[in-house]
Amino acid sequence: MRVAFLLALLALAQPACADEAFVTNQSSDDLTIVDLSTMKPVATLPIGGKPAGIAVSRDGARAYVASPEGKFISVIDASARQLLKRIALGTSPLGVAVAPDGGRLYVADVYGRRLLEIDPETQATRAVAVGAMPSGVAVTPDGRFVLVADRDDNALSIIDARDFARIAVVAVGRHPYGVTIDAAGKRAYTANVESDDVSVVDLDARKTIATVAVGKRPYSVALAQGKAFVANQYEETVSVFDAQSLAPLQKVKVGEYPESLATSRDGATVYVTNWFSNELWSIDAANLTVQAKAATGDGPRAFGAFLRPVN
Amino acid sequence: MPASRRAILAALLRLAPLAAFCCAAPGAALAAHGTTPLKVAEEIAIAAPPAAVWAVVSDFERWDWLPGVAKIAGTGGNVPDQGKIELTLDTGATIAASLTKLDAERMSLGYHLDRVDLKTLPATNYSGVVTVRPAEGGGSIVEWKSRFYRGYPLNNPPPELSDDVAVAAVTAMNRANLAALKAKLERR
Repeated sequence: MRVAFLLALLALAQPACADEAFVTNQSSDDLTIVDLSTMKPVATLPIGGKPAGIAVSRDGARAYVASPEGKFISVIDASARQLLKRIALGTSPLGVAVAPDGGRLYVADVYGRRLLEIDPETQATRAVAVGAMPSGVAVTPDGRFVLVADRDDNALSIIDARDFARIAVVAVGRHPYGVTIDAAGKRAYTANVESDDVSVVDLDARKTIATVAVGKRPYSVALAQGKAFVANQYEETVSVFDAQSLAPLQKVKVGEYPESLATSRDGATVYVTNWFSNELWSIDAANLTVQAKAATGDGPRAFGAFLRPVN
Repeated sequence: MPASRRAILAALLRLAPLAAFCCAAPGAALAAHGTTPLKVAEEIAIAAPPAAVWAVVSDFERWDWLPGVAKIAGTGGNVPDQGKIELTLDTGATIAASLTKLDAERMSLGYHLDRVDLKTLPATNYSGVVTVRPAEGGGSIVEWKSRFYRGYPLNNPPPELSDDVAVAAVTAMNRANLAALKAKLERR
């Protein structure tokens, strides 16, 4: 009886255990934190510098936000919802990703044709030359390789994380923007904005093995339940195709100018930011229906790994 | 050197790469854009039934009612991904646009400006969506939504190709377009 009472108290004490979305709003210059269990915004943090890229660390402790116009990275204590510091770059960051152990931050220097590696504690920095207009960044689950979508080169750069050397350049579709790696670290998917398709890259062979036609102006890809989800900016849809057979499954109608996608930890839900209509929508990954909508700030980008695990 | 002269020199230096950009191939110039998409949404009430308004809006090939248009040439019909128009303006400038979406059920049309010079519109990678909604009393509301980038594709834009200049120009264009549509439909 007393145990039951104690358990009830504990349950009451933990309503904040739901995972969260950290949505960068480029037009309103801030960050909206959305509670994913209720799909309600719970906090807004001012950021500045037109924030676009974001990476939340795997342990959920930190969020790194890239402000390309302000030329800085904001380091955020994600649980306290507080800005810890700004790392001034003197150059414009766009896509960001964080190493699995949280020890390194990878930043696309969009006008500088470089990928930067930054130690978030000491701010020690290394740089490697990549292609033109590097945009999306992703790290393999083992932390060994960093991938960068070189937008204006129609290529995906593969960087060895240890030597910080560019070891391969893989030709993909026209203007790759978002890049997503599967859980096994075997395949990468680029959303190719200008060729309206997705390139499927074999990471062992370092080759594009398939090109999948999707909707107009695809910006990003998420993977859930053996399916790939692709946000099509010009047609208010998310294309869904089978990640193995690559056969198209369905298009889900979403809000205006959908941009970034992310998958919940349990794989049950895919989230999409709608840049023009200022919303985050959730999609049931099994039956492909829209579940809920949350209001964001103006111009939600959330370009990168924008979900925060809360344990 | 006095501060004012330094400022002028700095402004000139900023303009130098811009001049190079303007001379680049138009295709390349169009593809390049920055990191911050901009948005403008404008709407207007029109005293005409939604079906009548949609009939005009959806006839992309005959968008010669747009203000300042001297001539229009269309190819591919009103078919998304095929329909293209070239507008010749009173100024002599030309604009090429293509139809990207035609959703009759939602009364919503999407288009993209494939080519427009920065003097005519100091913005790049412009896409527009025009949507007709029924209003109370049998009239219509027309909404013109635009996504675009500033005219200068890199960071540190010169003042005349800034975000603010692009937003002001697109806002003025959308308002003028909506006013022309209203005038055409309310003409008796």
